[in-house]
Amino acid sequence: MTSTIIMPQLGETVTDGKILAWFKSVGDEIKEGDNLFEVETDKVTMEVQAIVAGRLSEIRVGAGVTAKVGEVVGVVGDGATATAPRGEASATRVRQWRSPLEEVSTPTDRFGPAKGPNGIHLTPLARRLIAQGGLDLAGLTMEAQQRGERRMDGAAVRAAISARPATPTAPLPAPPSPLPVPKGNVISLNAVRLRTGERLTENWRTIPHVFQAIEVDFTAVNRVRRSRKADFQATHGFSLTFLPFIARATCLAISACPQINARFDGKVLTLSRDVNLGIAVDLNHSGLVVPVVRGAGELTAIGLAKAIRRQTEKAKAGKLSADDLAEGTYSISNNGAFGTTFTAPIINAPQVGILSTDAIRLKAAVVSTPEGDFVAPRMIGIVGQSFDHRAFDGAYSAAFLSRIKLILETRNWDEEFPSDL
Amino acid sequence: MAELTYRDAVTRGIAQEMERDTRVVFLGEDVAKAGGVFKTTVGLYERFGPLRVRDTPISEQAILGAAMGAAMTGLRPIAEIMFADFLAVCFDYVANQMSKLRYMSNGQLSCPLVIRTGNGGGVRFGAQHSQSIENWTMMIPGIKVVAPSSPVDVIGLMAAAVRDPDPVIFHEHKALYATKGEVPDGAIVDTIGTAKILRPGRDCTIIALALMVPRALKAAEALANEHGIDAEVVDLRSLVPLDTQTILNSVAKTGRLFTVEENPRLCGWGAEIASIVADEAFWDLDGPIVRITTPHIPLPAADHLEDLALPSAARIADKVQRVLNG
Amino acid sequence: MASAAGATTGSDRLRNDDIGLDRRLELFRLQVEIRDCEKRAFDLFLQNMIKGTSHLSIGQEAVAAGFGVAMREGDKSFCTYRGHAHTLARGASMEGMLGELMLRDIGLMRGKGGSMHLTSVEHGVFGSYAIVGAHLPIACGSAWRAQYLGDKDVAVCFFGDGTTNIGAFHEALNFAAVWKLPVIFVCENNLYMEYTPISDVTAVKHPAADRAAAYGLERIVIDGNDADVVYRTALDALQKAREGGGPSLIECLTYRHSGHSRGDPAKYRPPGELEEWLKRDPILIYRQRLQEFDVEQETIDSIETESKRKVEAATEACKASPPAPVELLTKDVYADGGWAWRN
Repeated sequence: MTSTIIMPQLGETVTDGKILAWFKSVGDEIKEGDNLFEVETDKVTMEVQAIVAGRLSEIRVGAGVTAKVGEVVGVVGDGATATAPRGEASATRVRQWRSPLEEVSTPTDRFGPAKGPNGIHLTPLARRLIAQGGLDLAGLTMEAQQRGERRMDGAAVRAAISARPATPTAPLPAPPSPLPVPKGNVISLNAVRLRTGERLTENWRTIPHVFQAIEVDFTAVNRVRRSRKADFQATHGFSLTFLPFIARATCLAISACPQINARFDGKVLTLSRDVNLGIAVDLNHSGLVVPVVRGAGELTAIGLAKAIRRQTEKAKAGKLSADDLAEGTYSISNNGAFGTTFTAPIINAPQVGILSTDAIRLKAAVVSTPEGDFVAPRMIGIVGQSFDHRAFDGAYSAAFLSRIKLILETRNWDEEFPSDL
Repeated sequence: MAELTYRDAVTRGIAQEMERDTRVVFLGEDVAKAGGVFKTTVGLYERFGPLRVRDTPISEQAILGAAMGAAMTGLRPIAEIMFADFLAVCFDYVANQMSKLRYMSNGQLSCPLVIRTGNGGGVRFGAQHSQSIENWTMMIPGIKVVAPSSPVDVIGLMAAAVRDPDPVIFHEHKALYATKGEVPDGAIVDTIGTAKILRPGRDCTIIALALMVPRALKAAEALANEHGIDAEVVDLRSLVPLDTQTILNSVAKTGRLFTVEENPRLCGWGAEIASIVADEAFWDLDGPIVRITTPHIPLPAADHLEDLALPSAARIADKVQRVLNG
Repeated sequence: MASAAGATTGSDRLRNDDIGLDRRLELFRLQVEIRDCEKRAFDLFLQNMIKGTSHLSIGQEAVAAGFGVAMREGDKSFCTYRGHAHTLARGASMEGMLGELMLRDIGLMRGKGGSMHLTSVEHGVFGSYAIVGAHLPIACGSAWRAQYLGDKDVAVCFFGDGTTNIGAFHEALNFAAVWKLPVIFVCENNLYMEYTPISDVTAVKHPAADRAAAYGLERIVIDGNDADVVYRTALDALQKAREGGGPSLIECLTYRHSGHSRGDPAKYRPPGELEEWLKRDPILIYRQRLQEFDVEQETIDSIETESKRKVEAATEACKASPPAPVELLTKDVYADGGWAWRN
């Protein structure tokens, strides 16, 4: 009885995934729920579990290779072909051929790159053995290079197999570490960074970004924030920042300016009923993700605070699912912690705008009173928006920003919090 | 069991079939009364008579055309084309006629005949009488092609060819006519389309045909004794149908493939095999596929030059060990 | 009809006729049907229902009909790509022939062979061959088999004047003569080797007959447009072959009304030549012949009407026939019905 292991559907717009590592080798017994391999999409990296038990009889797509969603990447069960020297699995051989238009049956397996990361060439047999044996391509080719060899063949891989334990017994390996930094100042980007970079480039290239900013007086917000801070910390276990207020103001402003909360395909602007707010999270300088708070429009400042916190923690722990990253309609880039004045962020297509907030600090500001205009210390921060100029123009964007400013400066923020009674 | 020369095996194979089936008739130039220029058909005329064993004029087109007409209407002819090079003179019948007949007539007509011909060099006959042209015949859809390397295979494959309902081209090798081999008693019938592993091995697969087979075996011995390389030698025997499974299984085992071809390099039969293996057995290959062939030149008459051109056991062993050890 | 002094009346002729009324009607019917069918092929080609190329024998019906009636069941004919007439003359159906030209499933070979390779083993048509001269040695092979097995059938091969200059012609004639094979070589000399007058490219005036002596054969040149002449000549040659007398080479003088193939408007013919030959149209000749034998006009007309009806019916049947199923692509390369060159 055989069953196939397929590349699962990992997210609504995901079409393929790259297998980073196999945790099992050909020949291993697998139980339901065992982690089989780690896969990376353009949004997320995750493990794929076995849904049936049995013996892993074939690996058809090896580590480092991308497979389309639905493609067979391995086989569980006893479907292996008979001629396997020294206990290794042979390549899948397609024996059925009926059509003169297919007189020779090209195999469909893909077993990994023809060269190691250091440029060492691998024979096809070596590639297959490495993939099917779940071996560490980078490590093996490094060792080959250190031995002064220019390539690795099947014999070398077999030697490496017999020198090591037959199956990897270690628990989940760490995510792939960045490549070793050679002498000099060359830094290779890790995989998540690379994928993020590709996306950012595409967005930058296709969307005509215009940036507008408005100065907001956060003094009123800050008064409420400080008064509620201790309680909030005690109740929820984390600190109350400006971000939930800004997020709340954003959602409220979107009601007045619905075109901000839309998806754009280059021709048609599709307004979204719900506000699914993406919050950009910096992963310790190792890349950027934008987890989404769904239905943000229905949440109070507290609700937003909690939801944002949850998503941020998940992001930092590397535990975001594809759903966490899907269906965002608007995003906020919060750079307050960096102390910057303003930031012009890159829009997350197919969204049409992204808000930026930066440091909020005491500054000298002019305050108008009936008695006259005075200079006073106020909490001032710049709220900006990069918007897609194809979707709407500066007047609309400005109106949105003005609305946010108005809400932040004049809303009764106390009402966002439960009364003390 | 007896020891028989390759040429006597030809005679015996034809006789075996003529004995068995009166529809089997034989024609060619100097085949009857003279017993063949290579003495491959001595005694057949005496044994089977002038109606069944016939001398023809020097008319290759008439020979193949007549064999075809006879086959189409009920006989099982064997036609000799003395030197394989002469197939070029009557190639219309191979390329356009007998190979297409069944298909064009939608199965109404068939052509159960055998063309036997003296192929290959090494006998100092010069450029027009020494060519290995088995690859010319491999290219035509609709025929079958065999090239035995030993007396026992000559008889077995001759029997199979005569019994085959399709047109078969039977490439004998002129330089093998004098070689000897053990042959069991009684009727011998082999199967077209089957290769034989003559020497099992682990380190590489060497596929050879006809004269190149004994040379490959000799090279394998040298490889084992002098270089510690354990070569598997496969006698292909049949170009069409091709025993791809034996080839693929062998490459799966060894990971390395060499072909030894007497035909000139371009479009030699080994190119087709290399292509199939690079395709279907890509993931078994542990190194490049190497073809060892006669260079793409006409063959010289001078013996030392001809010996340089055709792959020798020494050249085969040298190439294999340089590629594997390099 | 009034007869010249000394000449016999129609009924007298019939009484002394070696051919006989039945066979005469057969000869006429075949010529008319061949003509009508070929003309229909011409039309279908213009309507693009026949693709590729087609070599028509309009004007050469008498040779096909004469031999067709003379040959017995079991005799095997081999012809060239200009073989529609010979195929019909052996009794193959119109829809089989037209259907093959139209490359439909109803065709004699279900569209696998096409116009140039008409084959109907059932009717003794052992292939039509597109390589000039190739079938002459093949016909010899069939004759060799007959000789070897003691069969009494004869191989008859038809070819054009152009064939007489190719190597296989000479090999076959020599071969047949030396082995004394029961084969008849019929050369339809229509004066043109494809687009070139045969006299421009041949060392002798009669391309076949003037070579017979080179092979120790009798020189035979006949009027290829008179079906009776063809028929009698054919009978003689067949009998000779059957009795072990060896091969015959017969040159039939004739003319084709259309070009070499569909693509040829035949502008290379000198003015007036076609008109002259049209006066010697075989069907014209034979209609007259029948009248000389007092065949009723009604009978003649009904043959011609029936022919047209058959052509119509065949055309409709062919138009209604689908192209062959795609599975046929790989069938019958080898005897096992398949195409496999490897395992």
